[in-house]
Amino acid sequence: MKLETLKSIISKKKNKTEFAIITNLSTGESEIFEKEKPLSKELEKYSNQINEFFKSKKNGVIDGTEIFIETYIKPIKVIIVGAVHIAQYLVEFAKSLNFEISIIDPRGYFASEQRFPEMKIINKWPDEAFKQIETNENTALIALTHDPKIDDPALHHALNKKFYYIGALGSKKTHTNRCERLKEAGFSTNQINSIHGPIGIKLGGRSAPEIALSIIAQLVAQTYKK
Amino acid sequence: MKNSFDEKILEEAHDWVKVNQKVILATVIQTWGSSPRPTGSRMIVNEKGDFSGSVSGGCVESAVVRESMGLLKDNKPHKKIEFKVSNESAWEVGLACGGEITVYLEQIN
Repeated sequence: MKLETLKSIISKKKNKTEFAIITNLSTGESEIFEKEKPLSKELEKYSNQINEFFKSKKNGVIDGTEIFIETYIKPIKVIIVGAVHIAQYLVEFAKSLNFEISIIDPRGYFASEQRFPEMKIINKWPDEAFKQIETNENTALIALTHDPKIDDPALHHALNKKFYYIGALGSKKTHTNRCERLKEAGFSTNQINSIHGPIGIKLGGRSAPEIALSIIAQLVAQTYKK
Repeated sequence: MKNSFDEKILEEAHDWVKVNQKVILATVIQTWGSSPRPTGSRMIVNEKGDFSGSVSGGCVESAVVRESMGLLKDNKPHKKIEFKVSNESAWEVGLACGGEITVYLEQIN
């Protein structure tokens, strides 16, 4: 692989674009494939197969050829509501997983840069914050404030936009009350039951990093169920 | 949904190149049976034999390091290596787990 190709791959990963690396195994030449970009002459004849790999987000060698394709998908967007202690550990775990985290917290003293260096923190109420984030059914929400004023509007947004993972921190009692409020707000039982609450898989730990681990484990499991 | 991991091996490869190391990029391009790591898994090796990342669960990494160093020494651009199920001989390099993988080695230049 040419150094120039490697650099361009790294920058595309940074810009969160979707692309594929196509390598001719017999010549060692590789090029970057993008949806709108035409293929080189040499690869044109494989365009159907390449598009198929790209669409199904698969890696592999095209049958009967020496062409290897590796696809890069956009990282999954995970929105955390509450710049709390647990969120600091979630940010750490997310670094080695393909998750792109945004944190929303209207409370300025929580959302300080010193607590979350190099993080995108939106210091606004969820209703306002969601106006600047594009969300869809590939987005995940982790609500951590257990304060209805902050968590509930975010949960409403996530349920309406059919996020594939919605988790909310809080005890069983907190969660029962939360479900009651959502019911009153007009959400169906199915929608309410789709929320993971209390959040996380059962590990037994109660410290911030342990809770963060149990949340991230649940998030990964749900990501693979998609 | 695939690829929910990002091991940042390519970024690390770039860091190595920046400090003038010769780097081989090893990629799993095909798998059969119960191979330990999926297609697209990567590791990098430099001329001293330092390596990062993985192409199996520790079964064939030593062979990949040896082959990579050989490639750098002979200044060859790329090579494809197939690893098959290992037999009972404990000293032979192979996949104890019963899988088969093809690893592609290429020099970054």
